[in-house]
Amino acid sequence: MRIVIAEDDPLLREGVALLLRAEALDVVATTDSPDAFLEAVDHHRPDVAIVDVRMPPTHTDEGIKAAVEARRRLPGLAVLVLSAYVEQAFATELLAAGGDGLGYLLKERVGRVEQFLDALHRVAGGGTAIDPDVVTQLLTRTRPDSGLQQLTARERDVLALMSEGLGNAAIAERLFVTEGAVHKHIRNIFAKLGLAPTDRADRRVTAVLRYLEESRRHG
Amino acid sequence: MEKRAGSGAGRRTRREGVLLRVRVILDAFEHLVGGLGTALLAFVALLWIVLVGLACAVGIGFLLAPGLPRVVRSVADRERSRLSRSGPEIIKLGPAPSGGLRAALADSVVRRELRWLLIHGTLGLFLGLAGVTAALNSVQDLTYPLWWRILPRDDAAPTFVFWTVQDSADAWGVALVGVFLAVIFLTLGPGMARLQALPGQRLLVPPADIDLSLRIAQLTATRAAALDAHATELRRIERSLHDGAQNRLVAVTVLLGASRRALARDPSSAEAILDRAQYAAEQALAELRAVVRGILPPVLADRGLAGALDGLAAASVVPCKVDVDVPGRCAVSVEATAYFVTSEALTNIVKHSRARNATVVARREGDRLLLRIEDDGVGGADVRDGTGLTGIRSRISAHDGRLTVTSPPGGPTTIQVELPCGS
Repeated sequence: MRIVIAEDDPLLREGVALLLRAEALDVVATTDSPDAFLEAVDHHRPDVAIVDVRMPPTHTDEGIKAAVEARRRLPGLAVLVLSAYVEQAFATELLAAGGDGLGYLLKERVGRVEQFLDALHRVAGGGTAIDPDVVTQLLTRTRPDSGLQQLTARERDVLALMSEGLGNAAIAERLFVTEGAVHKHIRNIFAKLGLAPTDRADRRVTAVLRYLEESRRHG
Repeated sequence: MEKRAGSGAGRRTRREGVLLRVRVILDAFEHLVGGLGTALLAFVALLWIVLVGLACAVGIGFLLAPGLPRVVRSVADRERSRLSRSGPEIIKLGPAPSGGLRAALADSVVRRELRWLLIHGTLGLFLGLAGVTAALNSVQDLTYPLWWRILPRDDAAPTFVFWTVQDSADAWGVALVGVFLAVIFLTLGPGMARLQALPGQRLLVPPADIDLSLRIAQLTATRAAALDAHATELRRIERSLHDGAQNRLVAVTVLLGASRRALARDPSSAEAILDRAQYAAEQALAELRAVVRGILPPVLADRGLAGALDGLAAASVVPCKVDVDVPGRCAVSVEATAYFVTSEALTNIVKHSRARNATVVARREGDRLLLRIEDDGVGGADVRDGTGLTGIRSRISAHDGRLTVTSPPGGPTTIQVELPCGS
């Protein structure tokens, strides 16, 4: 797996690179600005990009913009965005650009190395990885009449784990239920959100997006 | 001895008395000229009102009548700002009430303005004309003997003079008229200026309740500006927390995570990673300390601006004189900014200037805090080359203040800061 890192804080940039290299992953370039990042993407054509949201010059959402642009230049590039805090507008902006292989994590998750590597591999494999905090925040901020409000507590749990990018087996394991039960919950979620009843990955992404979209419009 | 000393003091007071008198006369002249200006406007407005009234007889006037209160208000506001310049402030009232002539006439402020217009457009105009004419003619007539010869023969008679000037005696007669006019102006001028201003001072002062609501509007505006500065300051703190301490702490968690994996795999490599984690944690602490200290130095609260600046000067390696004359207290964040500018400037002086002396002067002028830091060093300081002054600049602009650095090569360096006090 070839990785490019874009992070303007030197200590953090080298820390993440060190961690990934220790795991025998191939960090091909570390960059400190959106321009340098896009250049590195053009030059190295990596599989995954790890991008900080705030980068120079204005330290607002340059990272998101760069990530969207990088995916335009290199379709199929998986992007894992790291953010210092939950900013759902940015998460939505990223996911709304569409496609598979996207992730949005709080920076401190990187310290939980197993989970971080897990998310990284999931994203590299075309899945999604949304930070549990983002999901929690979204769930508490939906409109009363939206389909999301009709979900039971258990269905919300399942949707949240789905957003993190977990598969049915992993969700079942986390919730201490059978895989069959998870399957049933997911069917109910799709029905309540008005989505076709299949649990193919792109449906799952649509469900998550629906979720983000709604909270962006009404949050 | 005693007598001479006494007469000396008498001479001095007499001279001061003359100077005072000259000032009073000049002020009176200035006020009469200004008053003449607004009186002319008032006269024109009066004429306009009469014309519109006449035009009403043929119907067209009714179209023009609704605009009259606005005309009156704009003339009255001119007089208000004129009177505010020389006396207690009379708040301007802005646009007149809309909603027709009848509504305007029901407004007591508009009725008072109309009464003022009538007096100022007639009596005020007369006083202004009389005063200014007397003053100008007295100067002209007094100097007449000096220049009457260059006038054409048959035109040689100034205003108020009924004889033709043909020789020096006649010209000196004109000068006598000048003396007479001057005496009139010197005795009556100041009184005339006061009399001319009187109707405005009585009739154009807004009623107490309106005065108060306008004052509140003004205060709200300044308060909003203060809150803006406050929000900018909060953003600055947020940014420095995020970019500094938070990122360091994230790095700590990342490195700790990495070292745990390393421990499981190859304990000997963990040592180096843990070392970096500790370094990152120390960095985080240093950043936090800087941010916290940067929000509000405790010394300001304890000893005020003067004490805090004294403290900085005492700690400076380059001898530093401090002269603070800032009555009252400014907003805390403003004082903090002044403190940091001084601290940064003194640090730079010690590091770069090779100066032997430095001075810090702080003054309050109206609602502005002025700060000047000077040294006798080699100069050549550049605000852009990454000295701490760049951070200071953003801090100052957050308060809507101004920073000027003059530092020619060879010195000396002067840093001037102007901050709104916000209190």
